Amino acid sequence: MSFQEKNVTVSLVNFILILGFYLIRVFQMIQGGSFNSTNVFRLWGIVIALAVLVTIFATILTHVVSAVIQAIKTKEEPRLEDIQDERDKLIDLRGTKVTYFVSSIGGFLSMLTFVLGQPPLVMFSLLIFFGVVAQIIGDISRLYLYRRGF
Amino acid sequence: MGKRRINNNIRTLRFFQNEMTQQQLAEKVGVTRQTIIAIEKGNYSPSLELAFRIALVFGAPLEEVFSYDLEE
Repeated sequence: MSFQEKNVTVSLVNFILILGFYLIRVFQMIQGGSFNSTNVFRLWGIVIALAVLVTIFATILTHVVSAVIQAIKTKEEPRLEDIQDERDKLIDLRGTKVTYFVSSIGGFLSMLTFVLGQPPLVMFSLLIFFGVVAQIIGDISRLYLYRRGF
Repeated sequence: MGKRRINNNIRTLRFFQNEMTQQQLAEKVGVTRQTIIAIEKGNYSPSLELAFRIALVFGAPLEEVFSYDLEE
């Protein structure tokens, strides 16, 4: 598995965990009757901050752990495998395209809740839900392209 | 025009270059070993520039490394 693949896998796991956390919190709010704008927007902030911070730390951790494993395996000086070649860039672009596509559909579906007479809070909750889901589907498509080739 | 695909002789050419490894070739042309594996398997068609760089490493013309054949 290349460094880029490891990075995508780590990002996928992160976003699945973030989605799990988000869904649990939303259901807890709905059940506890605290599904209001203050709590929803605070959750928005937490999810976005988590996504940024965890991604940064996970990338650094992946670098360090793969360098250590490589050094143990080959008994050579660890070197950073951070080159992103033309295939990595193409796969990344295609993954981003998938992410944007899912995110656009999600945005559209979220707006439809207004048509169904739902309050804006539902729209905002769905918007961040689809944002995270889009990232997950984008990462899955990247992994698929790495495995299958194109 | 029939359907065609890009084939390559990289594996054979590596063998005749003192059994050059995929990693060595990858380092010489500036890509990852995974990209060389994908090209060899025919899962990825390289850019024209990368194709020329691979041919340069083997000191062979492009047509000797890559061919554009009809699919069977």
